[in-house]
Amino acid sequence: MDFLKTLTIATSGLRAQAGRMRIISENIANADSTPRGPNADPYRRKIPTFRSELDRTLDAQVVELGKVKTDSSAFRLKYEPGHPAADSNGNVKYPNVNSLVEMMDMREAQRSYEANVNVITATRRMIMRTIDILKT
Amino acid sequence: MGISDIPILSMLRTRLDWSQARQRVLADNVANADTPHFRGRDLAPLKFDDPPLIASAAVPGITLTRTASSHMEGVGLSQSPFANKNAPVYEVRPGGNAINLEEEMMKVATNQMDFQAATALYTRSLNLIKTALGKR
Repeated sequence: MDFLKTLTIATSGLRAQAGRMRIISENIANADSTPRGPNADPYRRKIPTFRSELDRTLDAQVVELGKVKTDSSAFRLKYEPGHPAADSNGNVKYPNVNSLVEMMDMREAQRSYEANVNVITATRRMIMRTIDILKT
Repeated sequence: MGISDIPILSMLRTRLDWSQARQRVLADNVANADTPHFRGRDLAPLKFDDPPLIASAAVPGITLTRTASSHMEGVGLSQSPFANKNAPVYEVRPGGNAINLEEEMMKVATNQMDFQAATALYTRSLNLIKTALGKR
């Protein structure tokens, strides 16, 4: 039954986008997580990766959330001498999270999620039409 | 002679099978809309001058061998008889992904409409037979 396979593929897309959303929300929530001490590093931005994998039972490329990588760009430095995590120069490291970029990613994940939901809706409608042949 | 051997019904069935297979390929494209280095695929359009395809849409795939008569027939890997091809590429994102989500959604909608047209025609054809039988 090809339609059921279609639904499974679209569901794999939904799952991947939901996982991406989870990582984005993690980044946004930790946008201001300061380090524990003067020499420690703050929260490092995480990047979700996607990879397509051949599902042999479906004979199709389903999408999966790959390894979560970390962003290696530099941390933001803020001059706050009184902060408990400030180094000898009075600078505090803040996470390399840019809320604007995260918001953008969030919108993109949302659009992709909606696209997968639309595929499911269309497929469902097609299944219903097939069943309707019986009803006449 | 089964009901699906009637030429018009068998042609419509091929069309429905094709729409079903295409829906799967499109779902694949949408699910992988954010996967790096993914190129979209599509089915080759259905041609009615392809006699074996029209005669029997269900090409027997690889099935399990039965070595004793009491064995149950296994459900094998059914191979789609329709040719896959790479969809034309309009734009490639920096990540190497060539899926255009809007385009794919258009195709999903078109495919759904084609399917509905075919099921409507199928119902009408069945009604013709019912009329001929005189039991309406």
